[in-house]
Amino acid sequence: MPAPLISPAEKSYIEQGIEQDCRADGRGRLEYRHIVLESGLLSQASGSARCRLGDSDVLVGVKVEIGEVDQENPNVGRIVCNVECSPSASQQFEGRGADDINNTLTLSLDRLYNGPQSGIDLEKLCIIPGQNCWVIYIDAMVMDCAGNLFDCIVMTTRAALHNTRIPKTEIQDLGDGEFEFDVVDDIEDAESIIGWDRSPISVTLYKIADRYIIDPTILEELCSQVTLTVGVNKEGQICGIQKSATGSIDPSLLTEMIQSATNLAKPLLQQLDTKLLEDEAQVQEKRKLGQPVEKLGFFAAVI
Amino acid sequence: MSRLELLTPEGLRIDGRRANELRKITAKTSVFSQADGSAYIEQGNTKCLVAVYGPREARRRQQTLADRAIINVEFNVAPFSTSERKKRSKSDKRSLELATCIRQTFEPVIQTNQFPRSQIDVYIQLFQHDGGVLQSCINATTMALIDAGIPMLDFVCACSAGCIEKVPVLDLNNLEESADTPELTLAMLPRTGKVNLVELESRLHIEQLESVMDLAKDGCIQINEMLDKVIRQNMDHLMGRMKA
Repeated sequence: MPAPLISPAEKSYIEQGIEQDCRADGRGRLEYRHIVLESGLLSQASGSARCRLGDSDVLVGVKVEIGEVDQENPNVGRIVCNVECSPSASQQFEGRGADDINNTLTLSLDRLYNGPQSGIDLEKLCIIPGQNCWVIYIDAMVMDCAGNLFDCIVMTTRAALHNTRIPKTEIQDLGDGEFEFDVVDDIEDAESIIGWDRSPISVTLYKIADRYIIDPTILEELCSQVTLTVGVNKEGQICGIQKSATGSIDPSLLTEMIQSATNLAKPLLQQLDTKLLEDEAQVQEKRKLGQPVEKLGFFAAVI
Repeated sequence: MSRLELLTPEGLRIDGRRANELRKITAKTSVFSQADGSAYIEQGNTKCLVAVYGPREARRRQQTLADRAIINVEFNVAPFSTSERKKRSKSDKRSLELATCIRQTFEPVIQTNQFPRSQIDVYIQLFQHDGGVLQSCINATTMALIDAGIPMLDFVCACSAGCIEKVPVLDLNNLEESADTPELTLAMLPRTGKVNLVELESRLHIEQLESVMDLAKDGCIQINEMLDKVIRQNMDHLMGRMKA
């Protein structure tokens, strides 16, 4: 497991490689690693997905539960995000060591998903205005960390939201402005989240020397001075921007980086969506024919 | 409101099993590329993943022992693992108790005197909770430790058993556990038959204790065969890749 230290010689090697558009593993500056994405692994969760981006491994479970509305927004549902880094990802995450990074990632994910930029129709999640609503709990667990964590988490969250099914509710009017609701137990009647396809993914650009790259490995991440996370949705709109790490960006470079991120996000989103929809169509086919649907989950070969 | 019948007069339980049947177990080792050893086990609907790092340099120098390695176990439950979503803190008492239990189960089995002043880390993740958590964790930990190449005296196989209406039953699921059934978890070393861990929740009459323990021991032997097979398969796969 690589230690979070890097020697000047290694740093120089990485910087020069990036200058030449040839990184240590042969990729160009704006190329992603191999992505393996699978959804629907956990039967007890409302939706789930697991993504391996290179060696980074993230599992997201979505649970949909009935809760009370927020008094400031009594007509909409809520989304609660939570990210936990498992100590299996790095020795520094043992005990309370992961608290800092958990908080940072949770708040970043929250920034993307809490609000109209998430694209999710929160009004549809409201059951009885002023009383009850559906609360979507997004729990991400980082199992293995090999660079570019946040992008991986957002990609997996999007797939998990696509996979999530919300049970149908029947509302009864008791008169006097009082309402009661019943949850329909039939799984077939459960609906998918409206607006999941308008949710953003994030593209994080890491500035190293004078160039910027995407999807770094851990060593490359250690060389970068500034990172810029841009959330982009399917229509090419920017849903959130965040600059992190110590360092500064020249304003002209900033505009260029944002433009670059938007250009990179569109084809990635298209490919992800195509694959997700294809996968789901296959699963429905199998269900219709009565064939068992096998999810690989953690049984997928690694070595 | 009809009472849930845990054991029908024909001898069938809620999920259609007989009293002495285990749930379906599927397991795999070497799930992670970064961990020294890892294992994933699915026992019915309970899904558990264990990653082992070690022996490696201890994180806190003051805690090292001069003559052997220390074992550090951390147990983490995913918030989406139970039917109600609940976020558990790392210092949750139940999690800490389980972690201590597992550490005490493995301390006599791992040959820690071969690695003085170092640390063996066992990180357990629970993704789905459907009963039999302690036994799945112990089984998965055994496999992960073997996958990491850490020398042990023997497998440690665990199995839970209970008693429904005076009939000893094997491998309780969540419904049966929450219905106030006495649950006994037993971990043993299959070759010698020595018992490493016995844990009983709820009340059990002393006359039934022996039959329940015997049933759990049977279950352990069955699980041992399965785990042995899985490990050999994975080793063959690795050997195949090495020769290719």
